[in-house]
Amino acid sequence: MNLKAIYGDIQASIKNWYRNKAALFWTFAFPILLILIFGEIFSGGNEPYIIYIQDMDNSMASHLFVENMSHINIIKVKLIDSSKNIEEYAKEHAAIQIPKGFQDSIIYGKKCNLTLYLDPSKQEINSAIKSFLISVIGEMNLKISNATEVIGYEEKYVTGNNFNYIDFFIPGIIGMTVMTSAIYGSIEINVKYKKRGLLKKLLTTPMKRSEWIFSKMIYQLIINFLSTIVIILVGMVAFNMKASFNFMVIVIIASASFAFTGMGMIISRFVNEEETADSAASAVNFPMMFLAGTFFPIEMMPHFLQVFAKILPLYYVNEGLRNAMIYHNFHASILNTTIITIFAFIVFLIGSLITDWKEP
Amino acid sequence: MNVIEVKDLRKEYGNVIAVDGISFEVRSKEIFSLLGPNGAGKTTTVEIIEGIRNATEGTVKIFGKSMDAHIKEKIGVLPQEFQSFERLTVRETLIYFSRLYKKCGNIDEIISIVGLKEKENELYKNLSGGQRQRVGVAVSLVGNPELVFLDEPTTGLDPAARRGLWNVIKKLKEDGKTVFLTTHYMEEAEYLSDRVAIMHNGKIISIGSPKELIEKYGEKTRIIISIKDKLIEIETEEDEIPELIEKIRRDGTKYDRIEIKRANLEDVFLKLTGARLK
Ligand SMILES: Nc1ncnc2c1ncn2[C@@H]1O[C@H](COP(=O)(O)OP(=O)(O)O)[C@@H](O)[C@H]1O
Ligand SMILES: [Mg+2]
Repeated sequence: MNLKAIYGDIQASIKNWYRNKAALFWTFAFPILLILIFGEIFSGGNEPYIIYIQDMDNSMASHLFVENMSHINIIKVKLIDSSKNIEEYAKEHAAIQIPKGFQDSIIYGKKCNLTLYLDPSKQEINSAIKSFLISVIGEMNLKISNATEVIGYEEKYVTGNNFNYIDFFIPGIIGMTVMTSAIYGSIEINVKYKKRGLLKKLLTTPMKRSEWIFSKMIYQLIINFLSTIVIILVGMVAFNMKASFNFMVIVIIASASFAFTGMGMIISRFVNEEETADSAASAVNFPMMFLAGTFFPIEMMPHFLQVFAKILPLYYVNEGLRNAMIYHNFHASILNTTIITIFAFIVFLIGSLITDWKEP
Repeated sequence: MNVIEVKDLRKEYGNVIAVDGISFEVRSKEIFSLLGPNGAGKTTTVEIIEGIRNATEGTVKIFGKSMDAHIKEKIGVLPQEFQSFERLTVRETLIYFSRLYKKCGNIDEIISIVGLKEKENELYKNLSGGQRQRVGVAVSLVGNPELVFLDEPTTGLDPAARRGLWNVIKKLKEDGKTVFLTTHYMEEAEYLSDRVAIMHNGKIISIGSPKELIEKYGEKTRIIISIKDKLIEIETEEDEIPELIEKIRRDGTKYDRIEIKRANLEDVFLKLTGARLK
């Protein structure tokens, strides 16, 4: 390996890149804009607090409690059927369970506790909800028994899917950015360099093809990690996102870079004109971006589109990143990573094999 | 000694026969030109020699061997219509390519040879056509090659820029390099080449020094004297011209103008093919 040549090629690629305003826009400004816009739209500051209530008593007293809670303006009560597992709901929003025998306790003046399920990570919401609950209970106690505490509550903590939209969205944006930069980067090299005689020129120099591919991939990885880091920082600073940057994330981004570079090579093999190559890339890029769960969960789409989404490599990149960075769902992220790595290997291999390095 | 030896080279693209069984050699330290109109098969020929394309038939020896990594260290190539990286400066471009070779030439020296000292920190995309071609030539020199291939280096340039590049190419020969030039400009081949191969429809139809070719196929040199409205044409040998003109002077003939008409490679091409070069 001629390290001097590889180093030089990486350096030249990076210079050529940061002097290209369009490239800078798509790798940095565009994802950041998306995060700021969508993050703001969906972070929803003044929405009512949602509280699930599960009424196991189904009595006049319990109905009164639900009604009192509902009267608080900024609380939106959603009732859960008594057969459901309240902890599942509590992963999303705070939940209150009214125990069986609630009314009887009141009648006999026996102390009775409601159970309040909270997610410990949502501190602000929790304290607001607690103060509403305390005031409702206090009022009821006053009426029932002149302030002897008949109704009380106990807290239970549930750690669950305490994630907001931004936590969902940012891994998607990372996946999208990696895909876009790898596909277009690959087309730039395979179509534009070819048109300019640069590939011919390189064939006549002592640099080996393997060294050249290697340096281009290192370059692509540098760009992709750089934009990932910037995106994560923006998410952390602007939206208080709690993401972790771990080994699995690195593997996923590296595999995604190879996979989409390989796809770019395959596209370039069939379209030789710059403009058609760009359109072909967009034709792959944009539908994949929308369908693979970048902006919204695929569960929101019709069933047949969900099936389709699951054959898109970007879906596994997005899901893998979410599981690894945000949900800490290690098993799921390993599965996603394995899928995307195998896909990357195959596509990159096909891309390298079918690329015409020599002229006909 | 021969730097390149081509034997019975053939190249077909589907049904198109681009190169139709040609043989020639390029000698050490000469400027050798392939001259022919567009579509003659020049680029195909050099690109096979450079190892960019595979031949359909025939053999190419370069420094006595087939193309390999060692030979790539010793050649410098300017592909036809080459365009370098848009957003690297002239100097950065040369540094980039020089890193691909084990030994490399002196970048400052190369910049001054091609006359780009003032533009060395300019981005490639901001250069004129002539300056870009000079960068292309400079790029072909960074590996300090023994053999330089230039495919249509002056196509699309204005006359001044073309002259400038011709001087650069002459300088390469003075520096002891072998130059393989491809062109469809007759004046260029005639001015620069030690030997020219005239190519037409995939075949080499004649090969030799410009002087030999013109002597062999061109019309004789003529002196044309116009007196009033009469034209007198005298066929002559090159070395008899001064004597002839002196004689006309001594005779005291009153003439309006004297013109010397020499045959050129264009005439050779016309004679050999019945077609014009351009
Ligand atoms: N890649 C190619 N595919 C098919 N035909 C080609 C290709 N390259 C060149 N040709 C044809 O081969 C012939 C010779 O072309 P070329 O070597 O470029 O000639 P020149 O350099 O003398 O202009 C032309 O007829 C050209 O159209
Ligand atoms: Mg040509």
